[in-house]
Amino acid sequence: MLLEAQNVSCAFGSLLALSEANLSVGQGEIVGLIGPNGAGKSTFFNCLAGDLKPTGGSIRFNDVDVTRATAEQHALLGIGRTFQVPATFEDMTILDNVMVGAFLRHHRRADAHAKAMEVLRLTGLEAQADLGARSLGTPGRKRLEIARVLAADPKLMLLDEALAGLTPAEIQRAIELVRRIHALGITIVIVEHIMEVILTLAQRVLVFNQGRTIAQGKPSDVVKDPQVIEAYLGHGRHARRERRG
Amino acid sequence: MILLQAAVGGLLLGAVYALFSSGLTLIWGMMNFINFAHGEFVMLGMYVALLVSWVNLGPEVFGPAAAVALMLLGVIVYMGLIKHVMRGPMLSQILSTFGLALLLRYSAFYIFKSDFRTLPDTALSGTLNLGGIYVSRAQLLAGLLAAVLALGMHVLLTRTALGSRLLAVAEDRNAAMLMGIHPDRMQALAWGLSAASAGIAGALMAIAYPFSPSVGETFALTAFVVVSLGGFGSVPGAMIAGFIIGLVEALAGYLIGPIYKDVVVYGLFVGVLWIRPQGLLGTGSESRS
Amino acid sequence: MRRRWGSIVLWGGLLVYPWVVSFTDSGDFLQDVGATLVLSAIGACAWNIVGGYAGQVSVGHAIFFGTGAYVPLLAYELFEAPPLIGVPFGIVVAVTMAALIGLPTFRLQGHYFSMATIAVAELIRLVVGNWDLLGAAIGIQGPATPRVWWDLIFRSAVPYYYIFLAVLALTVYITWAMAGSRFGYYLRAIRAGERAARSLGVPVRRTKLMAFMLSAALTSVAGSLYAIKVGFVNPESGLGILISVQMIITAALGGAGTLYGPIIGAIILVPLQSATNTWFGGSGSGLTYILYGGIIMLLARFEPGGFVELWNQVSPRLWRLLRVRAKTERARAA
Repeated sequence: MLLEAQNVSCAFGSLLALSEANLSVGQGEIVGLIGPNGAGKSTFFNCLAGDLKPTGGSIRFNDVDVTRATAEQHALLGIGRTFQVPATFEDMTILDNVMVGAFLRHHRRADAHAKAMEVLRLTGLEAQADLGARSLGTPGRKRLEIARVLAADPKLMLLDEALAGLTPAEIQRAIELVRRIHALGITIVIVEHIMEVILTLAQRVLVFNQGRTIAQGKPSDVVKDPQVIEAYLGHGRHARRERRG
Repeated sequence: MILLQAAVGGLLLGAVYALFSSGLTLIWGMMNFINFAHGEFVMLGMYVALLVSWVNLGPEVFGPAAAVALMLLGVIVYMGLIKHVMRGPMLSQILSTFGLALLLRYSAFYIFKSDFRTLPDTALSGTLNLGGIYVSRAQLLAGLLAAVLALGMHVLLTRTALGSRLLAVAEDRNAAMLMGIHPDRMQALAWGLSAASAGIAGALMAIAYPFSPSVGETFALTAFVVVSLGGFGSVPGAMIAGFIIGLVEALAGYLIGPIYKDVVVYGLFVGVLWIRPQGLLGTGSESRS
Repeated sequence: MRRRWGSIVLWGGLLVYPWVVSFTDSGDFLQDVGATLVLSAIGACAWNIVGGYAGQVSVGHAIFFGTGAYVPLLAYELFEAPPLIGVPFGIVVAVTMAALIGLPTFRLQGHYFSMATIAVAELIRLVVGNWDLLGAAIGIQGPATPRVWWDLIFRSAVPYYYIFLAVLALTVYITWAMAGSRFGYYLRAIRAGERAARSLGVPVRRTKLMAFMLSAALTSVAGSLYAIKVGFVNPESGLGILISVQMIITAALGGAGTLYGPIIGAIILVPLQSATNTWFGGSGSGLTYILYGGIIMLLARFEPGGFVELWNQVSPRLWRLLRVRAKTERARAA
């Protein structure tokens, strides 16, 4: 198991945003985290990423306890994450953005440069390398966000709604990119709202609702789960649908 | 006995510190922004009082005049400068009010020269003997009024509709917008309020203590210490901390020497940063980067 | 290509300046202004490392300047040593202080750091101003007449000018080497987005601290150079807040976070300050700071990137204009 999260809970004061979440991710898997807004998936995600410290439970990565590890330590260990709203380094060029990521494992400038160019080729940003990052629109920024993390050679990539706000065509390209990354042997955990993406990409899905995990399994199975339908549509809809036949 | 005297004096001055520091912490809490020119706002309040005294109006006009003048200035500064730099890099945010501080300070030096002045004698002169402790009438009045106004500010923020609108913007700007509150207007108002609190504090101090354009710098630092001790964005915290700092300053001045009282206060500031940056009433999460 | 020309012109100009100016009537005075200009540039470049590249706005750099100024002169006053010996010690003290200030404050939000730097600078100024060993309010003097050549006492400003220029060149080189290195990229990432930088493995706190310490060391050198040239320092001239302000505005006006910005800032501001001092006489310094305050505000409001940023926006249009002119000339000639 590459990633083992056991009974992870996170409370903000008296508000229990996440309660006893469990997830095991094996090397090479693509796992999706889904659920309505405020369901706790973002909280869980941020606990995995090292942005939030869980108030209960434990998280192990590659057999190392990372429950209380900092974001910096996460990156060093091989966990990379993107941000929902791309945190682009606006004042720097696209190449420089990626180089910051590359410098993690390649301390010399020439090596970092080579790695960065390689990643830019993989993500299709090579032609724009010397342009300012500011010049990119949202799809480009999301792509850059992913490129930057890739350059740091992660073993596990945590994608935070990396495909939100994209047009259908852009979504296709993004799915392609995620597949390419996966083909490199990188394990992926993705938080996503867009069902189409989850159904196509994820091999396994974990569903959150009101701070708890309510279902886990193959995407095609999970969408038929009555509890999941209940969570999304709410208020006994499923039961009513059943009755109507 | 003299120790007690020093303590009382310190508490009275501390009330004034509480007043103007409340203004600073309000802005900090609302906009995550430090106004480096806040000390100069206090200083300007003092000089407004001076100008008012020159046109032979009585001391009862000082406070309101300073409040109005500084409120206006606060709003103008927000609309013309702060609003725009808020979206920019940290450097320009810090530079903006820092530049303002320089401008105000040296303009005051240029116009009023660097001598310390006092306001002309009024009905407020003279000392009172309260059970062996001598307190100047002016200092007593300044301290009491400041305490009342600081409390009033707290009440305004927590118990009025206007106050809750201001706090809503501080809490969650987007949510406030959705509720029909204009964050921009509220922030401008907050700046006006903050500057006014500084101005009134200045006017009150001018009645009781000598002043010069150089005090702005000192008060800015005092305000920093008070808000840091009191806690990020907490007006009650600033109030309590104001009294504490006033007291500590007075006692340090008495026990160690007037020269070192500033040293003690700044040293306290560094100590607070080192040991408990969230201050007395902060929760800690806001201070971490 | 354009940038290469620009820096060649700049360094060339700086190199020949004292010679060129010696042909004018006020040659001596202008050479002195030149020395001040170069010194101001060194200080601004030093601040630029932590304030410009890393984006951590220190408003208390006078601490390090003052340290660099006081320690060498103390070496003379207490041990009759040539001030030059004190320079490395000044650096060590400055770097230590930077570490002490940075350690607690760099884990907090940026504003705390700025406030702390102001407070500590004031604190030190007050303490020094009342400590007899350090000259109290009167200050400390260096050797009045040269005993050995490495006392570095010259009548003319020209030797100082070239010593300063050499140090400036070294400072710029250090900045350039740093900016292109892993450390430099990490600094810029911290300025551009701390949270994202952290997620990429940038050791934020340690990096900020090192930048601050490097900046402190270079600032200390600037202070030492000042003390050696002027031969005197007191709490006002060595530790006053205006010294910190001067460094910030010089770097920011030219372009904080750029390689040559601080030098450009010095080229604009030092002659300006000299001129206002001459026009307005003794009270000129008050008006100078009113002007500074106004400039800083305008800078923050309209062009925080300083002169370099302004140039970057304007010059493409200028070049286009020139090229269009050249094309029409050629078309006409053909």
